[in-house]
Amino acid sequence: MSDTDDKDLVARCREGNDEAWRELVDRFGPRVYAIAYHFTMKREDAEELSQEVFLKVFENLHRYDGGFPLVAWILSVSRNLCIDRYRRHKREKSFRFVSDEAVTTLLKSEDDPASMALKKERTKLLFSALAEIPEDLAEILVLRDLNGLAYEEIGKALDLPDGTVKSRLFRARAEVARKIRERHESRGSSSAFASIAVAAAGIV
Amino acid sequence: MSCREIEHLFTAGLEAEAAAHRKTCGVCARAGADADETQAITSLLAAPAFSPALRRTLLEIPRMTVSCEGAEPLLAAALDDEVSADDRRRLDSHLSRCGACTAAANVLLSVRDLAQPEPPPWLATRLAAAKPAKPASRWRGFLSGRAVVAYAYGAAILVMILGWNPTTVVRKASFASLGVSTQKVVTVAQSSLTDRLGALQEKAVRTLAVWKGHIGGYSRAAVSNAIAIVSRPEPKKSPVRPRLSREGGISVTPGDFTTAASPRPEPFASRFRV
Repeated sequence: MSDTDDKDLVARCREGNDEAWRELVDRFGPRVYAIAYHFTMKREDAEELSQEVFLKVFENLHRYDGGFPLVAWILSVSRNLCIDRYRRHKREKSFRFVSDEAVTTLLKSEDDPASMALKKERTKLLFSALAEIPEDLAEILVLRDLNGLAYEEIGKALDLPDGTVKSRLFRARAEVARKIRERHESRGSSSAFASIAVAAAGIV
Repeated sequence: MSCREIEHLFTAGLEAEAAAHRKTCGVCARAGADADETQAITSLLAAPAFSPALRRTLLEIPRMTVSCEGAEPLLAAALDDEVSADDRRRLDSHLSRCGACTAAANVLLSVRDLAQPEPPPWLATRLAAAKPAKPASRWRGFLSGRAVVAYAYGAAILVMILGWNPTTVVRKASFASLGVSTQKVVTVAQSSLTDRLGALQEKAVRTLAVWKGHIGGYSRAAVSNAIAIVSRPEPKKSPVRPRLSREGGISVTPGDFTTAASPRPEPFASRFRV
């Protein structure tokens, strides 16, 4: 959808057009909720954060000038909310103890139980490692790899050049992988694989 | 892991060069493999489900709050308590999140709380003592004493300029046709008028002489005062003389430091006392 369409949609929302607001919610609601979920890893918190984001979006619609994609503007408006919530969760260390339920939400259900158990373990390790890397790297990984935003959209939202987004993303991925490997090494790879095998056997 | 060349190449937007560097640099090759591994994990994840309940809540937002531009008229109406309960709730919801609108609301509300400035204590007395000004009469200026004198002088000058003689004027007014008693009355009036005009003329000459003398005297006095001020020599400063106290020490009184040229300044507040 072009920037002109975005601008028109926002203009109609500002006029109090319910249909336009419904269109905006349906277009961006799932993406905002997904980002909120990846920043919080709790359904209730993600729903509350999504609501806060949309409240802020509605209250600041007059600030959108159509200069860049609406999704990037929504992200820039809600970035502080997301980062604040992310920091709070990091302080509460909820990322280090990501629940099975929180991870299961992110797994595709068509997988067989063994591969599900493996993926669940890897996903939990992923979010634990994500909490250990710097925030400026983590947020780019969340936006790009977990939510599929374009480099340009991330750059506009975070006010960064595309090249910086790419280099930070590369560093974020490498750091996360290194953290996962270190964790494996500290726990002993045999025990890690044993736990996965037990989980798989229990399901089978 | 110390080589950051691959990141620098990404920052510069040189992705092809970054891929080539990865093949030649062992450190960056390993970092690249780690990055690929993370990407492989994340690519398998699905988006969390967006619940219909959350969608319904988000659709209700326009009825839950107002935008900054929508808050302005509500705020103006709220100051007069002319908003509905729903609008009041929406406005409160907005103010709880928007610092700028909250600041504006606080400023507007503070106007109500401003106290009226109290008049100074001397103002009532001064106002009571002041006489109400009378409305100026339209004819007051024309009938004042000074105006009457001016009219008299004006009339006299006019008569002199035109070369009229009051006696001939009266005579011309068919004096001969009048009765004897009337002629006597006219004669008396004639002499009286002549005398009065003469007296007025004399008075005018005297007044002018007096004014002339005053002006000359004041001018001379002003000139002589100016000359005296200019030619006056600088006053010599008398040195402070320390006095010996009874105890044998030297004492200096505060008055020793005050001179006529630098009087002690009056306190600021006392300048406004009556």
